[in-house]
Amino acid sequence: MKRPTISPPLAAVLLAMALFLLSGFLPNGFGGNLDVATAQAINIVRLSVFLGIIAAGQTLVVISGGEGIDLSTGAVVTLTAILTYTIVSGKNEQVLPALLAVLVVGGLIGLLNGAGVAFLTISPLVMTLGMAGVVSGLILVITQGNVSGAVAPIMTQLIARPVLWGIPGAILIWAVFAAFMWLLLERTTFGKNLFAIGTNRTTARLSGINVTGMIIATYALSGMLAGLGGFLVVGNTGVVHIRIGEPFLFPSIAAVAVGGTLLTGGKGSYFGTMAGALVLTLITSLLTTMQMQESVRRMVLGATLLAMIAIYGRQRGFRQ
Amino acid sequence: MAPLLAVRNVAKRYGAVQALIDASLEVSPGETLALIGANGSGKSTLSKVINGVVAPDGGQLLFAGRAVRFGSPHAAKDAGISTVFQELSLIPQMTVAENIWLTREPLRRNILIDHRTERRRTEELLSLFAGTFRADLTPDTPVSALLPDERQIVEILKAISVNPRLLILDEATASLDSRQVQRLFDLIGQWKTQGTAIIFISHRMVEIEQIADRYSVLRNGQTVGEGAMKDATAGDLVALMAPEASGGAIERRRLSPDDLATRRVILQIDDLRTGILRGVSMRVHEGELLGIGGLKGQGQRDLLLAIFGGIPYNGRIMLDGKPVHFTHPRQAMKHGVALVPGDRTGEGLLSIRSILENLLVPSWRDYGFPLRMKRAHQNASVIAARLDLKMAGLDAPVSALSGGNAQKVVIGKWLLRNPSILLLDDPTKGVDIATKAEFYRLLTRLCDEGTTVILYSSDDEELISLSDRLLVMHDGRISSELAGASLTTANLVAASLGVARRETP
Repeated sequence: MKRPTISPPLAAVLLAMALFLLSGFLPNGFGGNLDVATAQAINIVRLSVFLGIIAAGQTLVVISGGEGIDLSTGAVVTLTAILTYTIVSGKNEQVLPALLAVLVVGGLIGLLNGAGVAFLTISPLVMTLGMAGVVSGLILVITQGNVSGAVAPIMTQLIARPVLWGIPGAILIWAVFAAFMWLLLERTTFGKNLFAIGTNRTTARLSGINVTGMIIATYALSGMLAGLGGFLVVGNTGVVHIRIGEPFLFPSIAAVAVGGTLLTGGKGSYFGTMAGALVLTLITSLLTTMQMQESVRRMVLGATLLAMIAIYGRQRGFRQ
Repeated sequence: MAPLLAVRNVAKRYGAVQALIDASLEVSPGETLALIGANGSGKSTLSKVINGVVAPDGGQLLFAGRAVRFGSPHAAKDAGISTVFQELSLIPQMTVAENIWLTREPLRRNILIDHRTERRRTEELLSLFAGTFRADLTPDTPVSALLPDERQIVEILKAISVNPRLLILDEATASLDSRQVQRLFDLIGQWKTQGTAIIFISHRMVEIEQIADRYSVLRNGQTVGEGAMKDATAGDLVALMAPEASGGAIERRRLSPDDLATRRVILQIDDLRTGILRGVSMRVHEGELLGIGGLKGQGQRDLLLAIFGGIPYNGRIMLDGKPVHFTHPRQAMKHGVALVPGDRTGEGLLSIRSILENLLVPSWRDYGFPLRMKRAHQNASVIAARLDLKMAGLDAPVSALSGGNAQKVVIGKWLLRNPSILLLDDPTKGVDIATKAEFYRLLTRLCDEGTTVILYSSDDEELISLSDRLLVMHDGRISSELAGASLTTANLVAASLGVARRETP
């Protein structure tokens, strides 16, 4: 029995393109103007970068299986954004130390998540939700509600402004990042082992894979990538507030799902997540341009997620 | 007296496997019938036909003189047939009382569960086994807190709580200690005087001789003999159970004991103990094909897993003359030990991943960074060709393969690493005959090349034909060592039931 099937990442990309073309017909859309269309497309991609990178760690954790999910992502983004803001304090030479610091802090939080999941066998949902609470509380205690600092000029230059042929730095960063993610998932032992533990942990263990070590490493990596996300987000906005990361949590999971990564683990790709981030960002900005209320936007986002997952679920070979 | 249950000429086929061809038995009220047979003879299938778990393809069931056909275990239970299952059917999160009365809870005003009555009745049931389990076991103890023997007792109590007319005990004594077995036998005596009929399935000949009034022997899905226990000896029963050797399918020149003695001991195990193993010692020679036999669940799985570092154990293992204690399969793997586990899909395969990835799971580390995919492809192709793997391509999902081909992938992933010791846990289970023959040739070739193979199989004929030497396991111990002239099916069956003691060679 052969049925024409379409891979989920491709489906998400096609959906994104269709949505984009559709947006051209809106009253204030690009119409037939190619230059405006290009500019709008670049802007959408630029806006997707931050969700895309924050969702990268989520992708790894979901692929690792065992009901893997990282609900501490939002809180870690907030914490690391604030850290970046205060460490950098407007000085260019402080950018690298700040980047290093957020990677370490994000990684440590992830390490604790992983240790809780692997050693204490706390379910990922509970462990990372608890961690989100702890980190949020920590932010309040440390900042006392107000944050002082500033981003450095070089960050704004590299992240928010066009760098090459009118393409914003953020998009270039994303392209390089995506290449690394592909390499990590498809061309390293870590990636192969990650898919293995996500598919069947008993088989993985009996094939010589250190499952415990893999779980801890994956959550640590997820924390680090959320840290990188926080760094980039604050570099883009230039200002920070104590809820800056929160709006990324639900979309980061949705992007992974829309991108066709199996929520039960063992199957997925970062390209899918990138396409998912594009779709979600597009829908949000489309609805915003249409001057829909926040409530309607949420409903449409939720419905899209359900529709995509329902379609993927019907495909052969996608069900176990 | 008219039989309570008469099974006539029942047949049952599972796919390509004919589990029952022509099985018959009769059991009367107040009588204990022992249902016996070797591995794969159809005992479990027959008991499942009687209690409504599987529907027979042909034949007749007469219960209390009337032809019946149970559509579900519930229907059988309503008719008065209750079973103590071999695989425990208790829900760990629920208490002892909740488990026993599940779906039959005593009610108050027809809607509310009457916990007081439930407790009282559970206490009455527990008192039957009083003194044989821990004192703090109450009706409110969650089943997850119980020891295996206590769970088995609860399972038995659950089965008798319906006051059955026919009670099937399927290996119900396997996890009980001798005191508990004795209590169970006392109770069986009482139930018999109340007119309950009992079908007793056990792998312990001693117990069968003690408790059964009559016996019925199954061999290859056919009833080959029945009669009164007092007229039969253990030897007679073993002779009935042992299948005739069909021979011819497997050609392997067996290494003689003298030949083996000249070879290097590559693996030496002393007093190995786990939850199931109770002191196993053995020596394995280089290039030997050592068979592990016995009925299912006698510790064969634990033995192989312990050697592979898959489960914790106590005892000494010497590999190539050096003491080792593996705590993770990775360590065993590095020492050239490989395991083909017993549950193909659950332990051996990554079902949604490609054949290529399944073949390379243990080996990715050897392919550098970035992974040299071309070389991985080449190596996988070589193994696939060597195993004559029938597939659409290396990138096809492994779930698309047939049972035999899927098993080839599990073996292939270890062959890629050239193991010096290959452990196999029932590798030909659910594998078609043609592929089985290929396996036999493969194992023969591996041994000729110097690989040491330890093979557990539930197929007795396979073990007899392939093994240079055969260790038979019974109750977590090695009950017998068969080699040379003693390596016969009859000896294997006898040893499986714990009839013979270990002969020191």
